[in-house]
Amino acid sequence: MITSMERLRAAVNGTPADRIPVFCNLLDQGAKELGLDLESYYTSGEHVAEAQLRMLRKYGHDNVWSLFYVGKEAELLGCKQILFASEGPPNVLDFVIRTLEDIDALEVPERLEEHPAFTEQTRCFEILRHEIGGTVPICSYISSSMTIPAMLMGMERWLELLLLGPVEKRDLLIAKCHEFFVREVQACRAAGADIIVYANPFGSTDFVPMNIFTSLSLPWIIRDIQAIGPAGVVYYCGMARMNDVIATVREQTGLGAYYVSPLDDLAEAKQMIGTQGLTCGVINDIRLIEWTPDEIRQEVKRMMATGMPGGHFLFGTGVMPYCIPEANIRTMLDAAYEYGQWLH
Amino acid sequence: MIDRVLTAFNEAIFDTDRERALRVIREAEQEGIPPEDIVFKVVVPSIHIMMKSTSERRTPSIAQHFVAAQIASEVTETMVSRFARSPEIIGRVVIGTSVGDMHGLGKRIVSGCLKALMIEVIDLGLNVPAERFVDEAVAQNADVIGVSSMMVHTARGPSAALGVRKILKDRALERRIKLAVGGAPYRFDHDLYRTVGADAWAEDGIIAGTVISALIKEARQ
Ligand code: B12
Repeated sequence: MITSMERLRAAVNGTPADRIPVFCNLLDQGAKELGLDLESYYTSGEHVAEAQLRMLRKYGHDNVWSLFYVGKEAELLGCKQILFASEGPPNVLDFVIRTLEDIDALEVPERLEEHPAFTEQTRCFEILRHEIGGTVPICSYISSSMTIPAMLMGMERWLELLLLGPVEKRDLLIAKCHEFFVREVQACRAAGADIIVYANPFGSTDFVPMNIFTSLSLPWIIRDIQAIGPAGVVYYCGMARMNDVIATVREQTGLGAYYVSPLDDLAEAKQMIGTQGLTCGVINDIRLIEWTPDEIRQEVKRMMATGMPGGHFLFGTGVMPYCIPEANIRTMLDAAYEYGQWLH
Repeated sequence: MIDRVLTAFNEAIFDTDRERALRVIREAEQEGIPPEDIVFKVVVPSIHIMMKSTSERRTPSIAQHFVAAQIASEVTETMVSRFARSPEIIGRVVIGTSVGDMHGLGKRIVSGCLKALMIEVIDLGLNVPAERFVDEAVAQNADVIGVSSMMVHTARGPSAALGVRKILKDRALERRIKLAVGGAPYRFDHDLYRTVGADAWAEDGIIAGTVISALIKEARQ
């Protein structure tokens, strides 16, 4: 039987497979699966790995995550307080950078593998690798150099520094975050990551106007991708739109896979990416909370009809909200398996 | 002359160039343009121009909204202190992020736009419980409560907008105080504002200006 990894390779290379790969990004749902509250769930890499595997068996999609929550990156850089919720993702509560001087003082750990905030992730990787290594792609989520500061100082203060300066502090902070970014990718790859989801809302013109994208975002994207190589890396703007930068990013970085926003025009994205790379069509999963089964099926069908012709297509979700009913997750996946089949 | 100032100011804001925008204002002042005109013929129209371009295909980015809101509220504040007569405030809004939500950027952009439109804003900060929204709105005699949420659980949760609606209802305040919401989940689900019992939502800070102005009118009828 064909494995998820083979399905993914077939989609990337445009070779035959039974159906397109289907990524379903279930994170907080793991706690429900193990009957734990979110805070205790996230204390252990064993919990996360176990729940990822259980959900994989239950739903039959094509990926698992080593990601606990995005705020982990801030913990690796000194954040001591995370705000846990009962029905949603954890958030950074304490900001490591409060004054401009804190930027000078910020230290990037030499060896992330030895950092206490990373050890549980290592454990998670070990279990995942042992159980499904090589057959189901293990995804890691890594924030770009320009994005990490949002979690270190808050989006408000970061945007202020980014747009209004002082420029030297801004550049110093991004440079330090770049160093961290590279080490994090290396650590995750060494631990077993197959796919790096390169998360960068600043790589979207929903966030910055084209002139800032070109003068600031793009040079850092190039540096980030040059440092880690484009293979196995997916361009993702946190669900913000990316169609008007795809051509430039591809030309400048060689990145092949794009996780487009549900707010983007999928047909347009597919046309630009074509058979050169992988178009990841992403469902608006916030609507999954309330859509009827029929609406869900219609939307999946529409996306498949738009994205599948010519191959090189993957169906995916965003960070699935905790309150999506299980029945709706199943309806979406069943529809994706059905409409995502290649009829030979 | 004022048209030239407006164009220059607007271009600077579109380029997210704060220094240049402030220089345009300084020069306008030196040329003898009164502070009232700077606010009502430059700053306010520049927000309206952004509103217009928002309805076109490529909307201004978050960065442009941020700079526009920041400069508009800064300039308005300084200019208003120099007005010959203090200006008429069109209404009052209390705003904050919902319980469990530490994301203040959206709220800040919205506040900046409202201030520039002569709407008084009382910022309750982050992680604000429903009771506090209502208590403050009553104490401050506000027309509108604005609840900002970045995540699904902080938008739909019982102590976010839903909680505010319930208290407004229980205390028979619904006619006097209107409820507006915004933040990422609303941008992905345009009907969500109804689900959480709000009177209106807005896609971005500039549109929030229009929507909240309308709610103020309703509340004051
Ligand atoms: C940038 C971003 C990030 C950045 C920075 C986040 C931050 N602010 O600190 C990073 C990469 C760090 C990040 C991380 C996470 N994110 Co995020 N992120 C985004 C993104 C791309 C934009 C959010 C943003 O900052 N917008 C900028 C502000 C200014 O916009 P805004 O809040 O919408 O405000 C405007 C309007 O909505 C309106 N408005 C706002 N408030 C109000 C109030 C009123 C009264 C009115 C009228 C109008 C109004 O006007 C504002 C100005 O124009 C969105 C997706 C998207 N495209 O929107 C996801 C998104 C918000 N993130 C999401 C999630 C889940 C997360 C994480 C929790 C993931 C995780 N599991 O760890 C983490 C949390 C990290 C943390 N803080 O600890 C989800 C939330 C949905 C959900 N599933 O609950 C989103 C929607 C992505 C998705 N669809 O999956 N994120």
